[in-house]
Amino acid sequence: MSATKTVANRAIKARAKATPDRIQKDIISAKAIIDQKIVDNAIHHVAETEELTIADLPEGDISVPMNMWLDHKAELQARDSLVAVQIAADEFPEDFVEEYAEISHIVLPMVAHIDGRSYSHAFKLRTRFNYDGEIRAIGDVKYDQLGFLTRSGCNAFELPESESLEVALNAFSEMSDVYQPSADGAPLIFSRRRTVH
Amino acid sequence: MYKYDAVDKAIVSDRVEQFRGQVSRHLAGDLSAADLAPLRLRNGLYMQIHAHMLRVSIPYGLVSSEQMRALAQVSRQYDKGYGHFTTRQNIQFNWPELADVPDILKDLSNVEMHAIQTSGNCIRNISSDQYAGVATDEIIDPRPYCEIIRQWSTLHPEFYWLPRKFKIAVTGATEDRAAVKFHDIGLEVVYNDNNEVGFRVYVGGGLGRTPVIGKVIKDFLPREDILSYCEAILRVYNLHGRRDNKYKARIKILVNAMGIDDFRDEVEAEWQHFKDGELKLHDIDFETMQAFFPKPAYEELTSGDDRVAKWRSLDSRFKAWYDNNTVDHVEPGYRIVNVSLKEHGVAPGDATDEQMDAIANIAEKYSFGEIRVTHEQNLVLADIREQDLLEVWKELDQVRLATPNIGSVNDMICCPGLDFCSLANASSISVAKQINEKFDDFEELYDIGEVKLKMSGCMNACGHHHVGHIGILGVDKKGEEWYQLTVGGDASNDAALGTHLGKAIAKDKVGDAIGDILDVYKDLRSDDERLLDTFRRVGIDPFKEKVYSEEA
Ligand code: HEM
Ligand code: SF4
Repeated sequence: MSATKTVANRAIKARAKATPDRIQKDIISAKAIIDQKIVDNAIHHVAETEELTIADLPEGDISVPMNMWLDHKAELQARDSLVAVQIAADEFPEDFVEEYAEISHIVLPMVAHIDGRSYSHAFKLRTRFNYDGEIRAIGDVKYDQLGFLTRSGCNAFELPESESLEVALNAFSEMSDVYQPSADGAPLIFSRRRTVH
Repeated sequence: MYKYDAVDKAIVSDRVEQFRGQVSRHLAGDLSAADLAPLRLRNGLYMQIHAHMLRVSIPYGLVSSEQMRALAQVSRQYDKGYGHFTTRQNIQFNWPELADVPDILKDLSNVEMHAIQTSGNCIRNISSDQYAGVATDEIIDPRPYCEIIRQWSTLHPEFYWLPRKFKIAVTGATEDRAAVKFHDIGLEVVYNDNNEVGFRVYVGGGLGRTPVIGKVIKDFLPREDILSYCEAILRVYNLHGRRDNKYKARIKILVNAMGIDDFRDEVEAEWQHFKDGELKLHDIDFETMQAFFPKPAYEELTSGDDRVAKWRSLDSRFKAWYDNNTVDHVEPGYRIVNVSLKEHGVAPGDATDEQMDAIANIAEKYSFGEIRVTHEQNLVLADIREQDLLEVWKELDQVRLATPNIGSVNDMICCPGLDFCSLANASSISVAKQINEKFDDFEELYDIGEVKLKMSGCMNACGHHHVGHIGILGVDKKGEEWYQLTVGGDASNDAALGTHLGKAIAKDKVGDAIGDILDVYKDLRSDDERLLDTFRRVGIDPFKEKVYSEEA
């Protein structure tokens, strides 16, 4: 689909680096929520800077910016630990369709929680590109975003250190019903009522 | 009207408890004011100069007597005994305490009301024609479509953090009373050659700092596709709308930057991925929804009740009210009654708890227990028997709701301005008063006829001044309040933005300037021309000359 039309403000496709929509500092959290459970976390999320090179990557499980993945896929695949790949809010999932078979974990960095683009990214990854690996939201992700991020297709979260993960688990049961389909495959309310009538 | 089922009830009450949790986490110090802000906004709660303001949703402006009483009770129990009906057919309370808001929302949920998505950068209340179902020019009742869109858009997980707020309006009549060309998405009913119902879809209209008339993105959208097509537009906007500057973040800016043709191509390409999927509606869905808006149990009557003619000849006040505030009804023997919330000296759109209760009672007694809110900050009783008009008028008059000024200069739309709003350059309510006082001769007002006067206290344009036949905009000149006038704006079918009259006018001269404009109109009009028609024929110059002549 992406080949059909170029959007006016999509000069971004020239694969800009280190934009304000990328994480500016590495993120390392001790815990994560995966599939609604609190677990220990080992992934070190590497920030994208202009100077970042493959030699700078730390040992162990990491996530790297998409640019790094595209430039150094072979070396990254040769590592014997987990390599997850970040798709920033200003990147477009349809530009990397060929990559998904080789990526087990996708990370969506949220620089500001009021920026809703990553919700559409998660939705497209799940429903259009049938991505069934982990989709993890990190950065400015808090309790009150977890419910909708889950419906849109994310299944893993890292929250800032100040947030209580135990409290945040409540987010998954706050709403007992929904009106519309999203990546969760919920039926449209009207199709449910159709079967009742 | 629409009645909640178990799903609607669960969603609204879960939402109240969710917000109660957010407020208590905030009051306990676990949720910062900054983090609470976007959450409270999505529950209709703003911060204003003096206090919080709570905006409660009235979907497409339809409210029952029971709900109106609940609103009256909220204003009594938690506020200062009044509420403000808004241009997007909602109601606002200006003085609630934060800690009370979860209880207010709980009380409202008992009568199937909520404040979900009445502010914040998400899909807002769906607005529509205040005469839906009873208008003589109606092609199709828009309310079922509004309700379908309301449910789909409520708590949509993907479109909760848009670049900016998003407003959708639907009209089903020949005359557009819902201003669909000034909404982010406007839906106008049309039939195709096969007599199938669909919608002409406008996108990218809006007022505010950069007023834009919406552009046609699709000439005919089959009705079963309205949800998927809206979703495609929203997804393109969510991904491509600007987020770096909130004044350039509305969809109108994106549509203008891309051009409507490229924007359409992008939406169509997106739509192809899922247009025949789960979002496709079935005929039964429309039928089920239409059943919530049945024709009321009208009596078989004939129009032109003799008594009405007699009352009109006997009582000039009744006559004035009948002529100005009532409108033809599609059903013989019935009329639509407009209830003016523009009483002299009262902020336009405000109603007291006592007035709300009275309206609720009158609606119950005479109008099948339903009331509508109009985007011109008035109310409507849609189904009044002609034979009841005198009683209805008397009962409205007792609570000062029968001011016979609908459609006149005095029936102005006016934003809160300096009195409540921290962004205002100038006050609007006091200018409204000045105009009321200048034009207190109703005979003269009737002679002038329809003039839509709209006023905003700053360029955010909450008062829709761009589309007023006469528009007034408050501007700040070295700390003083001045007013810029426009003539010839129109929110309806021949949508147009007003033309600038000239340089700003001092506060105490606004009434005189309006007087000058109307004098020119009276001199130049031919036959049954309205001010707007005369302006379209003669242009701005004659008005300009007169208003600024004294200074020359
Ligand atoms: C705290 C200050 C503000 C107050 C008291 C205020 C009040 C209002 C009111 C009473 C309405 C009527 C509509 C409704 O509520 O349903 C309204 C609508 C509107 N507001 Fe505001 N507002 C404020 C801030 C803003 C800001 C910051 C903007 C834009 C940047 C804005 C833009 C608008 C626009 C364009 C409308 C018209 C809605 C339409 O498209 O029909 N307002 N506002
Ligand atoms: S137009 Fe300006 S002054 Fe009036 S309510 Fe809107 S923001 Fe406030």
